[in-house]
Amino acid sequence: MSEPLLDVRDLRVSFATPDGLVRAVDGVSFSVAPGRTLGIVGESGSGKSVAVGTVMGLTRGARGATIAGELRFAGHDLARAGDEELRRLRGDELAMVFQDPMSSLHPLFRVGDQLVEAVRAHRPVGRRAARIRAQDMLGLAGVPEPGRRMEAYPHELSGGLRQRVMIAMALVNEPRLLIADEPTTALDVTVQAQILELLARLRDELGMAMVLVTHDLGVVAQVADDVAVMYAGRVVETGPTLPLLCTPQHPYTWGLLRSMPRLDGPRDAWPVPIAGRPPSPIAPPSGCRFHPRCPSALAPCAAIDPVLQPAGDGTQRAACILPAAVREAERP
Amino acid sequence: MTAAGPPHPPALVEVRDLVKDFPVRRGVVFQRDAGTVRAVDGISFDVRRGETLGLVGESGCGKSTTARLITRLLTPTAGTIAYDGRDVSALGRRELLPLRREMQLVFQDPYASLNPRMTIGAIVGEPLRIHRIGSGAQERRARVRELLDRVGLDPEHHNRYPHEFSGGQRQRVGIARAIALGPRLIVADEPVSALDVSIQAQILALLRELQADLGLTILFIAHDLAVVRHACDRVAVMREGRIVELADADVLYAAPQHPYTRALLDAVPRMPRPD
Repeated sequence: MSEPLLDVRDLRVSFATPDGLVRAVDGVSFSVAPGRTLGIVGESGSGKSVAVGTVMGLTRGARGATIAGELRFAGHDLARAGDEELRRLRGDELAMVFQDPMSSLHPLFRVGDQLVEAVRAHRPVGRRAARIRAQDMLGLAGVPEPGRRMEAYPHELSGGLRQRVMIAMALVNEPRLLIADEPTTALDVTVQAQILELLARLRDELGMAMVLVTHDLGVVAQVADDVAVMYAGRVVETGPTLPLLCTPQHPYTWGLLRSMPRLDGPRDAWPVPIAGRPPSPIAPPSGCRFHPRCPSALAPCAAIDPVLQPAGDGTQRAACILPAAVREAERP
Repeated sequence: MTAAGPPHPPALVEVRDLVKDFPVRRGVVFQRDAGTVRAVDGISFDVRRGETLGLVGESGCGKSTTARLITRLLTPTAGTIAYDGRDVSALGRRELLPLRREMQLVFQDPYASLNPRMTIGAIVGEPLRIHRIGSGAQERRARVRELLDRVGLDPEHHNRYPHEFSGGQRQRVGIARAIALGPRLIVADEPVSALDVSIQAQILALLRELQADLGLTILFIAHDLAVVRHACDRVAVMREGRIVELADADVLYAAPQHPYTRALLDAVPRMPRPD
């Protein structure tokens, strides 16, 4: 594997709240090599959005936030970078798209003007050159009639088109890394399929790396090279996509897989829920945080806090102390 | 599609040539009518007794409008809705009251659909109070506890507020409220779309259990075909206000006839399977 483009080591992000300290991200490590796509999967409250938001510097200055750990990106130390250095990187080498396109688009400015500004904030080019670049990018992002759409206001566009405009804006300066946080969650399934295809195509054409945050293992299956599964602020399993989805090693991963409604398999094989509910981020369970919901858990699981260890075919790592035979007894 | 009557008892709901237009208004201060948009465009189908019928389509296809027409939260522009053999499409507010006991909606967003200022006991007990069911507050309280227990919530939590519950638990509250009056028809409008995957399966299982125990008929509205695949006996696919395909679930998933049904199926991400 080549030198990672993004390397996150032992990231910890906590927020002081009136109810107590919320450890949203509690010792998370992951890395992404140039041109690769990492899928970060987790349910609400798993810490996935806080983790990638922190890479972008979005949790800096948040009320009561404490951040620790290493964040290295393309020779920059993001954890210690000044605000000015971060501002230069964001929207240039490092870009992000969100679930809600209106969070990145200004409602009162024309789409074209916003794109032009994004170009000129980072490139010493004139308005005319920036407009050409902006319009090309809209076309590349699959916006039909990009010339006409440059004049549109965000509210005049459909949800799918807005998502494409936001993607065009994020990619207009050809970033080396795109972080996409639930980029298709709010979209219809047919539009989701188009947007995922678009992201994969642009990733390949521009040679960029991508971190895709999602709750949907199906989305991961479609675009990610590697996967990190998060639960209660930790990465519980990580590895290349195919073995991870076919021979999951952590009971939470296969719990997620079994609870998914699927189009293959017999129709009377209902999705199997994971019992219970996600733990409180203020007072997580002792030992393995998944043990109260784990169908295979044994007594030591409540006492020993597991760390990621090689598992399965050796390319995977899982944070589970159970012997493989015990875990596999419950695996579908 | 013709109204081929089912063999034995008549269908619980018979929808014929149903149309709903909404006025489109222009202008901010001086609003003027600028024509209409047809959300539901002449659809016909039955909901058979005891079945789960899936109604699937993407945003704007008219599926939620159809749900609100059948439960008569909206009045149709044209066409008829018969419930238990009786035309209910033109009933007024007062005449609808007895019908409200028979059919209940479960909403998509358990965060928006529960009154944050009411305890969950009061939320579940409200329909009992409105319909004056039970001989007094004590009897109603007992019934609320029974309902909470029935949907997998701790009856001791009846005096807590919605914000103290997770999304899945709130959806259980919504379901407890929906079954409080002993309805025969549940119209579930995207009941699991806002929930985490591991919780979705819990709610699907709960609906299945309640259907078996209470003999419910369910109209299950969804935006994707995977979610309703296990739960539904038959599935109708809607697009632009029309039903483009309606078939037994076994048939629809194995051999979809309409190109749009195939497009919807193809859009669901495929999962690798271990061999």
